[in-house]
Amino acid sequence: MTPRTTLTHDDLESSLTAHFHPVPATGDLVRRTLDALRDDFRPERFAELAQIEASDRGIRMLSPEGEARPPASAAEKRLTAKAREELFEYLEGRRSFFSVPVDFSAMPSFQRKVLERTYRIPFGETRSYARIAREIGNPRAVRAVGTALGRNPVPIIVPCHRVLRSDGSLGGYGLGLPLKVRLLGLERATPVLEGCATTGIVCRVGCPDAMRMREDSRVVFASVADARSVGYRPCKVCRPADAIA
Amino acid sequence: MTTDRELMQRVAQGDEPAFAELANRYSGRLLTLAWRLLGERADAEDAVQRALLKVYTSAGTYRPEWAVSTWLYRLSTNVCVDEIRRRRSRSSLRQAMREEGVDGQGPLFSGTAVAGPARRLDVRRALESVPLEARILLALRYVDGLSYQELARVRGISVNTVKSQLARGKSILKMALSERRRRPRPAARVAKGA
Repeated sequence: MTPRTTLTHDDLESSLTAHFHPVPATGDLVRRTLDALRDDFRPERFAELAQIEASDRGIRMLSPEGEARPPASAAEKRLTAKAREELFEYLEGRRSFFSVPVDFSAMPSFQRKVLERTYRIPFGETRSYARIAREIGNPRAVRAVGTALGRNPVPIIVPCHRVLRSDGSLGGYGLGLPLKVRLLGLERATPVLEGCATTGIVCRVGCPDAMRMREDSRVVFASVADARSVGYRPCKVCRPADAIA
Repeated sequence: MTTDRELMQRVAQGDEPAFAELANRYSGRLLTLAWRLLGERADAEDAVQRALLKVYTSAGTYRPEWAVSTWLYRLSTNVCVDEIRRRRSRSSLRQAMREEGVDGQGPLFSGTAVAGPARRLDVRRALESVPLEARILLALRYVDGLSYQELARVRGISVNTVKSQLARGKSILKMALSERRRRPRPAARVAKGA
């Protein structure tokens, strides 16, 4: 064995003490935190305070106020925690889809049809109230569609903010128009698909597999077809081909 | 002086000045902890901010049998760990960039070093070979001298695990630092061989 220059206990202690010696934080840090506290919209605050309720089958309610019934089973607890985490990542622009399921079963049948259809509007896209009405086979029920969406018990996850008026104006939003504008802007600024140059797999942003990608192998794609044309295959976990044409 | 616990009680009632006071007391230590764990000051500041917001929003869940500092470290460490997991792979590029501009440019080496800057660099690099849990414990232990008991509470593990993880971390660190000192520079080796 080659002799090794040993480091004494004291050497190590003093190195560690020096390395972890506290640096002063600028007063700025606390002030910015206070500002953030007063700001009406912060993703972490919104996600932290959101009231979320689940059944064993999926999320039933999401609201910035009120009080959710506490989870009654392990499954409910797991689902609400997952929804909260995904909500945070989504609001931070790190997720382009929700993997947590929605439980539509308690909704009246018309509302359920409207919301199930709305649930399938892809991230970053928009539809008109009239088109939703047409697609559920009730072309004249445009106003009723608006009402059903306005009472959406699971906003954001069921993306009623992606539904606009046919003339392009915003329509209404249960959580307030500023948030609708914010969400639409967020979705336009967040990439939907990313591929890994090493594995040749394309994922939806937020897929657990995509999070493990190395930064220098990350490629953003506009569509699955786009990715396929250069030899990528869709991920089997987040299945972008099923969700995004 | 108002105690931490009294401040926490007021924070739980939404008292902003109390929150600012508490944040000021701990921001330096929390920042250092986050900085050493995340590597970049800007990331560390974000993490501390997120942790402090969490302190404010979940002050109601604080239980007085915990020391306030323990609770603050627990929240902050969890934020940092989430961040590390989230970007575990994403950091590799940044890492590479940092390593290229390593001499004196990194934010970690700008302060007046107790040991010389070279030694600091050694410690930072050597710490990279220490597993995450042990690294977290070392950071908490050396930033604010937390006891084994407190470390166990912060991380939600047993005191024995704390002890063994710390010992393991230190021995890996010692090994890494010793090897680095012993090993000749690659350039020198080439010169000798020629």
